[in-house]
Amino acid sequence: MSQWQDVGDTAAFQEDEPRAVTVAGEPVAVVRQGDEFFAVHDICTHEVARLSEGFVEDGCIECPLHQGLFDLRTGQARKAPCVTPVRVYKTRVQGGRLEVQAP
Amino acid sequence: MADTPIQERAPSERSISFPQADGSSVPYAVFSSQAVYDREQERLYRGPYWSFVALAAELPNVHDFKSTFVGDTPVVVTRTASGFACWVNRCAHRGAMVCREKHGNAASHTCVYHQWAYNCEGDLQGLPFRRGIRTDNGTLAGMTKAFKPEDHGLQKLRAVNYKGLIFATFSDEAPPIEDYLGPEMKPWVDRIFHKPTVYLGCTRQYSKSNWKLYFENVKDPYHASLLHLFHTTFNIFRVGMQARSLPDAQHGLHSLITVTKPPVEADTAAAYKQQDIRSMQEGFSLEDGYLLGQIKEFDEDCTNHIQPIFPQLVIQQIHNTLVARQLLPKGPSNFELVFHFFGYEDDTPELREMRLLQANLVGPAGYISMEDTEATELVQRGTVRDGDKVSFMGMGLDAPDETRTNITESLIRRFWAGYQKAMGY
Repeated sequence: MSQWQDVGDTAAFQEDEPRAVTVAGEPVAVVRQGDEFFAVHDICTHEVARLSEGFVEDGCIECPLHQGLFDLRTGQARKAPCVTPVRVYKTRVQGGRLEVQAP
Repeated sequence: MADTPIQERAPSERSISFPQADGSSVPYAVFSSQAVYDREQERLYRGPYWSFVALAAELPNVHDFKSTFVGDTPVVVTRTASGFACWVNRCAHRGAMVCREKHGNAASHTCVYHQWAYNCEGDLQGLPFRRGIRTDNGTLAGMTKAFKPEDHGLQKLRAVNYKGLIFATFSDEAPPIEDYLGPEMKPWVDRIFHKPTVYLGCTRQYSKSNWKLYFENVKDPYHASLLHLFHTTFNIFRVGMQARSLPDAQHGLHSLITVTKPPVEADTAAAYKQQDIRSMQEGFSLEDGYLLGQIKEFDEDCTNHIQPIFPQLVIQQIHNTLVARQLLPKGPSNFELVFHFFGYEDDTPELREMRLLQANLVGPAGYISMEDTEATELVQRGTVRDGDKVSFMGMGLDAPDETRTNITESLIRRFWAGYQKAMGY
């Protein structure tokens, strides 16, 4: 039974500036691109680092530790040293609020 | 008296002089001088020579890695998607050792100091805060904009896989590995590495003596029946056995010793007694003679095949044990010796059991090898204070081309003659 969880006002999410939120106790990085919102698990699958502290480019989030890339839409690793996909979460906007689907 | 004190030159600073060009006399300073040692690191281990670093069978899977050394430089050998890589284990950032494990499997290697990460080929993949730090007030500067990751990889060595033996070199001048082994040595390397191998494990030991003393030892069949009492007591290495002592013809630094049993009808015990070198221990026998058996597996079933390939490898087959010994210098008066035991993929269970059983013959506590590093330590202790004094090796000197003997020091002489040239002494 998946639950939608409110993570804040959509206005709080700035273009291409990842923000760390917590969903069902898990750290999640949320990225806004125009009217789209992406949510991925916040911990890099290569070594322990927060993706929410990284940079967004070409539809990917870049880990600040070793510049590995993950596709925001699919979670696939796009650049070494990252090879294992990162988990992605569904998002939706309800009445100006952003919700992330808990696993 | 305020006279200027006489400047005594330390023993290590004296110039090295070999009294004979033929290698029959060696100044003891080469075994303890720091200057000689440093010159070896530069001219030999960084020179046009191939150093043995691993068995391919030690690294069966992609991304398997092993920490080892070329000379005293720490290196890591990895299996990559396309072959093998070898790089200096020193971060391109501030010089820390990147890999801190003896062996394992990893797609990337990260330095613990500042988390710079490299792939298994040694290329830099990324580093923390390269693009700076995002803050509420904008992004703070990171690594200099001129930084190109491709210019900051780990220092790479050339690495080759010759039939399951991985060699590495710092030098662009090192010849192709087949040429390096040379026409005398290659058929004998091929004799052992003629089919796929399986790694069985290793022993490690340190000896408080110079690495070249071990090279002398493995080029010295003369000592085998004299130092190793297990040999003579159980009648396994005897004067009069069919023998080979072959030098490499290019530089004499590699060599081969073999011993093959004579036909069973010959009474070698009687032949040995006639030599009157050391009398046989009458009445000693093994409770279980199986240890000294030999399952036939080669065209010529040598009981001993000892083949040093300069500067870090000794290939060994003794009965059914197969070993790649790796010799690693640790300063002028120390070396590490690693025995890498292996078998073949198609070993029968009986043959594999025999290989493991006969592992007891060699290694740090081996019945017929524990004395070797003790003997080299005796030389180290006996010579350390008298670098100007010299050894004398005249056994077989009058028959320099005789190769069908094990009572000879010809291989050691060829080694020292080659060493003198390589070192410019």
